[in-house]
Amino acid sequence: MTTPLVKMVSITKRFPGVTANKDIYFELRPGEIHALLGENGAGKSTLMNILTGLYMPDEGDIYIRGTKVKFSSPRGAIESGIGMVHQHFRLVPTFSVAENVIMGSGDHGFFVNMKSVEEKLARFSGEYGINVMPGSKIWQLSVGEQQRVEIVKMLYRGTNIMILDEPTAVLTPQESRELFATLRRMADMGKGIIVISHKIQEVLDNADRITVLRDGRYVDTFSGKDTDSRKLTMAMVDRDISFGQNLADKPKGNFILRLKGLTVLGDRGQKALKSLSLNLCKGEILGIAGVAGNGQKELAEVIAGLREVAAGDIEVRGERFTGKSARAMIDAGISLIPEDRLGTGLVGPLNIMENSILKNYRSGEVASGWFINWKRVREYAHRLVDKFDVKTTGVDAPVRMLSGGNLQKLLLAREITNDPDVIVAVYPVRGLDVGAIEFVRNILLRQRDTGKGILLISEELEELFMLSDRVAVIHEGEIMGILDREDFDLERVGRLMAGEREEGAYERAANR
Amino acid sequence: MSGLPIGRDRVLVLEKRGHFSQSAALLVPVISIICALFGGSLFLLATGYDPVEIYVTMLSGAFGSAYGLSETVVKAIPLMLCGLAVSVAFRMQLWNIGAEGQLYMGAVAASWVALFHGEGSRLGVLALMFLAAAAAGGIWGLIPAIPRALFKVNETITTLMLNYVAILYSNYLVYGPWKDPKGMNFPLSAVFPEHATLPYFGDTRIHLGLVFGLIAAVMLYIILWHTRWGYEIRVIGESPVAARYAGMNIARNILLVMALSGGLAGLAGMAEVSGITQRLQPNLSPGYGYTAIIVAWLGRLNPFAITGVSFLLAGLLVGGYNMQMSGLPAATVSILQGAILFFILGGEILTKYHLRIRDARGIEVAE
Amino acid sequence: MYKKVLALITVLLMAVAVFAGCGGGADKASSGQQGEDKSQEAEKTKVAFIYVGPAGDAGWSYAHDLGRKYLEENVSGIEVTPPLESVPEGADAEQVIENLVQKGNKIIFATSFGYMDAMEKVAKKHPDVTFLHCSGYKVLDNMGTYFGRIYQPRYLSGIVAGKTTKSNTIGYVAAFPIPEVVRGINAFTLGVRSVNPDAKVKVVWTNTWYDPAKEKDAAKSLLEQGADVVAQHQDTPGPMQAAEEAGKFGVSYNSDMRQFAPKAVLTGPVWNWGPYYAETVQAILDGTWKSEQYWGPIGDGIVDLAPYGDMVTDDVKALVDAKEREIVDGTWDVFTGPIKDNTGKERVAAGAKLTDQEMLEMLWFVEGVDGIIPQE
Repeated sequence: MTTPLVKMVSITKRFPGVTANKDIYFELRPGEIHALLGENGAGKSTLMNILTGLYMPDEGDIYIRGTKVKFSSPRGAIESGIGMVHQHFRLVPTFSVAENVIMGSGDHGFFVNMKSVEEKLARFSGEYGINVMPGSKIWQLSVGEQQRVEIVKMLYRGTNIMILDEPTAVLTPQESRELFATLRRMADMGKGIIVISHKIQEVLDNADRITVLRDGRYVDTFSGKDTDSRKLTMAMVDRDISFGQNLADKPKGNFILRLKGLTVLGDRGQKALKSLSLNLCKGEILGIAGVAGNGQKELAEVIAGLREVAAGDIEVRGERFTGKSARAMIDAGISLIPEDRLGTGLVGPLNIMENSILKNYRSGEVASGWFINWKRVREYAHRLVDKFDVKTTGVDAPVRMLSGGNLQKLLLAREITNDPDVIVAVYPVRGLDVGAIEFVRNILLRQRDTGKGILLISEELEELFMLSDRVAVIHEGEIMGILDREDFDLERVGRLMAGEREEGAYERAANR
Repeated sequence: MSGLPIGRDRVLVLEKRGHFSQSAALLVPVISIICALFGGSLFLLATGYDPVEIYVTMLSGAFGSAYGLSETVVKAIPLMLCGLAVSVAFRMQLWNIGAEGQLYMGAVAASWVALFHGEGSRLGVLALMFLAAAAAGGIWGLIPAIPRALFKVNETITTLMLNYVAILYSNYLVYGPWKDPKGMNFPLSAVFPEHATLPYFGDTRIHLGLVFGLIAAVMLYIILWHTRWGYEIRVIGESPVAARYAGMNIARNILLVMALSGGLAGLAGMAEVSGITQRLQPNLSPGYGYTAIIVAWLGRLNPFAITGVSFLLAGLLVGGYNMQMSGLPAATVSILQGAILFFILGGEILTKYHLRIRDARGIEVAE
Repeated sequence: MYKKVLALITVLLMAVAVFAGCGGGADKASSGQQGEDKSQEAEKTKVAFIYVGPAGDAGWSYAHDLGRKYLEENVSGIEVTPPLESVPEGADAEQVIENLVQKGNKIIFATSFGYMDAMEKVAKKHPDVTFLHCSGYKVLDNMGTYFGRIYQPRYLSGIVAGKTTKSNTIGYVAAFPIPEVVRGINAFTLGVRSVNPDAKVKVVWTNTWYDPAKEKDAAKSLLEQGADVVAQHQDTPGPMQAAEEAGKFGVSYNSDMRQFAPKAVLTGPVWNWGPYYAETVQAILDGTWKSEQYWGPIGDGIVDLAPYGDMVTDDVKALVDAKEREIVDGTWDVFTGPIKDNTGKERVAAGAKLTDQEMLEMLWFVEGVDGIIPQE
């Protein structure tokens, strides 16, 4: 057996309050494409930052080609032939390709022999089939071409352990195929390639071996040939699944929110939702399952009027609400419990009183004409705090002083007191302690029971199965399938999350 | 990672201190001023003057006599109005550097009323001047607000550029069409009729503009903390994302706030022409609109604190001439004033932030 | 933590020391001040000066500062306050003058036109103080104006320039289009054309009294347009330096500027305020001063011609001397007819002379001036 290029043993890295990596094992062999798979926050980036010398591990050892090393700075890692292509490229837009490639390589004097640089670039082209125009300016290139420049930059530095962070996130399917073809040729030349990803199908198609991390821990390393998407999904998201309480079936009301063929662009201009259709009824919780980053954020935002509709329609109670402002959506009774509690849902430096009226500061309840009646606001805030048991030193305290659980309680208190018809809750229990989780879940159930329609976006299947009347699975901006409560099945959901479409998914969604 | 490069792979960065207690907030300005006086005295010692004597001259000139005090108040009026003006904009993270130009446009509009529509009762003419100045300043603030609201065009640059336009326009008027025919061709407008001038308090030069400033401070306080609009301004200033989430119309608020900001600065212009020079002339403002930025920061954007700070800074300016009378050359006085301001701001920054050394990728190296 | 506490204590101690120092110093200084006031009030009259530029500008303010020093040395019983330099002609002027009154100054000289309104306002409030304003036209019982007939030496310097020019184009860097400056340009041009009827004087306005860079640039543009002599009505030697750098000649103003451009400066009108300041202050002390609009001729010595540069020949000097004698004798003055303006219209009939009032309101150019006076 050949010596592994990289061997990381018992790596542990703690940050204040979190253990990002706990006892992780990782091994990279020469000539292989090795995928590092896991959900957001599973510890992939931390592990790679340790390998590239950005962080020092608290515990554990790193061996490069069998030699134990200790990187005190990125420079050491670079000198050992480790290079990383980041998700956000580190190129100077106004410089040419050749200038970007030699930048920081440090093997030339004050004067640069551009001719020799170009010769070298031509050689890469022949060896790896990776073509770049040395004279082009970076800003003129497409994203895929810029990525090639990053790769060439690594090759020029003599990198033979190459890490790519979510390399296909910004690429078209065609570009992705080309990228992996190039990576395969580089692996065949004896280099080791690490691809960070959370896309199961892509990993299955391209990787020789797959290491799965979950919650900062090592789960297992699979051989690409001997595994399938179900196994990987289980490894990625597996949790103790137990169906706690048995929920009575609720009579289904009318459609309160309909999304018809909705297409929405993400922040980078990519199609985050692709002609997505979904219906929400009164008195139900519709769970949205999916690996984070598959359009959940955009789905919540477009419903709240915070993101533009590129195509399709939104209907509330049968009325067309496409392209309406956030204010109109609030007035229509749509409430968003945002993922980012402090910053979007609540304003940190402002106090509890001020935060409690964020949605209804214009209503007669707390304002008279142009003026805000702080006496009434105080009473109102006290009511919210009392009703939802928010632990605080007083309503004059800035909300940034509150704990995560109390922030979420205050946020829910405010939203529910405004009596919305639709509640869109995005990862509502993320980061909360057990008691607060219980509290939040009970509130959602009670709201469901009073006839509200709730769209629950979560990454915890356990939670979704426990609370939802139906679960829709989202993958790359499309609904892969919708399951009724009696059909809840971990394996099936796992397959859908990995991108395996179920026949008739759309029909079910539309006809429901 | 931005920052000051200090050698290979190392940068010096300023980081906001995480926690900032109430007592520290009060201590900051005090420490800043002490730093400033201390820094200034180093400079004076280096140039061979006795700092104690100079400071005494400065302070007694600005605050030591009824006359000095009254002059400090006179100087504080435009600083106060402009400081309040920029503070509303800053509160919404709109960097209005254009108070100087807005002041000039206000002065031009007020002069236009005084010179060409000066008939009628004193109250009527002054009210008209007041409205014209507020409107002109407001429009001058609105111009850069429109591209900012619609296309996110950086208002720092546009407001700054419009300063030059306003000053040159005002100069054009006094060098050209509005030049006093009896003024020996000197670049001055005609003197305003008596009833287009702001009344004075007693025989001081303190004019009614002081009342404008104080009312503006109270008004701003009420707007910011007691109206729905002010609530929107504060939410937008603290978190635009949350404001959008709450359904607030950010673009409309940008327009309104910049108009309010410009209008207040425009009033400073009216106060200056109507209360002090009583005619339009070049060099109307020795940079009040820029000094106002310092006033607003030191006052932490609080209307009442800004009122107080404007008196302190006015004292620093008035005291400057006194220092000259005790033999300090004009250039030295300017440097000293600059040094004091520098240390005030420096002290302010260093108590709010701390310096750290980081490597090129942002990893902390040492404190 | 311990370190931070220590640092805080140190800072506080420093602060206390500074404040204590201030307090103690204040007592001492103010008591000293009072003592001085009491003992000297009877005998010493305080005199103050306000300058528009720095005292070291080598031009206008510098000339006044020389006068101030002359006054200090030649008149007893007065205390001359350090001069206030670079006082803008805007909102601050009134405050500065009032402040000088509050500080006990009894005679105040304001040395720029732009201080006129401010000085008038303060003068009305303080009848016991004597105010003297240079170059203005507003007079009160306790406020006089003073100026010199600088146009006379300007005419003489024009003779030198007219004899020197080869290209027959002479540049003139001028501050503001006001009668004072226009009169100077006209006098200069008449001088030039008295010896060289083909020569033209090109005028560029800078709209500033004191801006070294701008003045120099204005002079450069004139030199590029073919001028081989540059005259100036500005307060810095910038135009002379431009002439020196271009290897051309210059006619300076205010004071002897040969040190800045030894190869270029031919001569130039200069101010000599000292004697006037001394006499006026003495008259005020003696109680013989009466408010007036003093406009001193070359014969009084308040205006003169700067020492000639080496390149000026004796013939030219003789020519100038002859003309100067005529002016001093009173047999002839600069604006004696026939004079046409630069549109060809006759402004002064043959044998007639402009009155002082006409000269003070002069807003037209004589024949031979290439320029316009912006006015509405």
